[in-house]
Amino acid sequence: MSETGAMRDHWYPVGMTKQLTEAGRDTLLMGEPIRVFRDGGQPQVSDGAGRALPVIDRFGHVWTSLGTPAKDLFTIPEADQPGRRLVDVGVCRVRCSPLRAVENFLDIAHFPFVHTDILGSEPHTEVERYEVEIRDDVDEVWATKVKFFQPQAAKSAEGGITTDYMYRVCAPTCSVLYKTCPPKPGEWDVIALFVQPLTETLCDVWPWMALYDDDAEMTDLIHFQQMIFVQDRSVLENQLPALLPLDPGMEIPTRADMTSIAYRRWLKRHGFTYGAQLVAA
Amino acid sequence: MPTDWTPAALSDDIPAASAAPGQLGPHDLAIWRSASGRIAAWADRCPHRGMRLSHGYVRGERLSCIYHGWGYGEGGQCVRIPAHPELTPPEAIKVPVFRAVEASGVIWVAVEAPEAPPPEFPGFEAFRSLQVKAAPEALAGALGGSGLVVEAALGGATVVALIQPLRDGAVGLHLLAPEALGAAELDALSVAAEALRRRVEEGVTA
Ligand code: FES
Ligand SMILES: [Fe+2]
Repeated sequence: MSETGAMRDHWYPVGMTKQLTEAGRDTLLMGEPIRVFRDGGQPQVSDGAGRALPVIDRFGHVWTSLGTPAKDLFTIPEADQPGRRLVDVGVCRVRCSPLRAVENFLDIAHFPFVHTDILGSEPHTEVERYEVEIRDDVDEVWATKVKFFQPQAAKSAEGGITTDYMYRVCAPTCSVLYKTCPPKPGEWDVIALFVQPLTETLCDVWPWMALYDDDAEMTDLIHFQQMIFVQDRSVLENQLPALLPLDPGMEIPTRADMTSIAYRRWLKRHGFTYGAQLVAA
Repeated sequence: MPTDWTPAALSDDIPAASAAPGQLGPHDLAIWRSASGRIAAWADRCPHRGMRLSHGYVRGERLSCIYHGWGYGEGGQCVRIPAHPELTPPEAIKVPVFRAVEASGVIWVAVEAPEAPPPEFPGFEAFRSLQVKAAPEALAGALGGSGLVVEAALGGATVVALIQPLRDGAVGLHLLAPEALGAAELDALSVAAEALRRRVEEGVTA
């Protein structure tokens, strides 16, 4: 059995609040069977032995932990801004390491090749220098001043534009990105990726959005995001090794991969190694 | 006639400017053909972030990875990193390459170049590849022979069967048919090959 390590004491999404029934949903968290259900209207989670696990209901999802989280679940302040539409995209199951799923979300260089003519297109493949830091006060990885040319940046975008991005890793398997919001210059659209680690090589991905998009139908917004993620899945299920290598040597990053490098470093520093591999000594 | 080469695919199954996955013992291969027709077998793993190169795309004489478009040329050398168009990729960025040659319409692969070239089968031409869930010996036995190269009677014709051990209890069966078989005879051969596969696979589970 794999070690859950320091990741055990963190929060993970285990279902969409809206979809929760009294009968509940049987699922896995880090290899352990759990049940997510409603009792007296309240979301509940129990482990394989029937023990109640801690629960938070936030961002449209139910969160739990197998351990004892020292901190509250992170917040996304933008989620409370008036006028935003909160979109629960639903679940996408991917046969990959939960950490690889997050790393892919932090990556822009793949846009022209995996999301061709949507989030990127040749010859606009260059990734300009951006800034990355591990913010010690909040213990998060941040990438800022990220820019990329996109033919159709969002459902609401018409024609190509250069989109600004910021990325934030706020939990071992959760990331939030901020991107230029075509209908509302000066504001950021918020797209989050909440990843439920089922096992070290299998995850349920729950994208979630807080958008200033007044026109699009909710189902179109959901379909757009799902289509993007299905494209990502075709890559994620075909990376070798399946586990994310945390030590340098196995893979070759370049300057465009600075966010990934920082994410891996941060994971390693904290012993967040469920879904990762360390080079054998 | 034992050979140090392993038959990995049929030439016709990898047309110009395409790539496909293959195996050589424990190694996963990306077998690909350049636009000008050159065949190559490389490790099926992009050095950048481990994506399978067999999912990649071919432009001209290069194989590019589908994830971030890194392009690889002669000898597996990385020649292009689209995120940094001005950069000349360091020489150290290289995909491990295997030997690959074509003979009798078959793509043969090896880790190190064997001394002898792969066998030729005059009068035969590559016909079809199948995957069979069985041990190599079981398949050879069902063809009435032994070893990895078997001449056998199948569907009313005499064929050459090349058996490629694969992982996970499977084998590749690469069939060579006599030249100048008619369409009806080839159809009969196909039907017989599939029946053989069923028979051998049922033998496995029985
Ligand atoms: S993994 Fe192949 S180019 Fe990035
Ligand atoms: Fe993507």
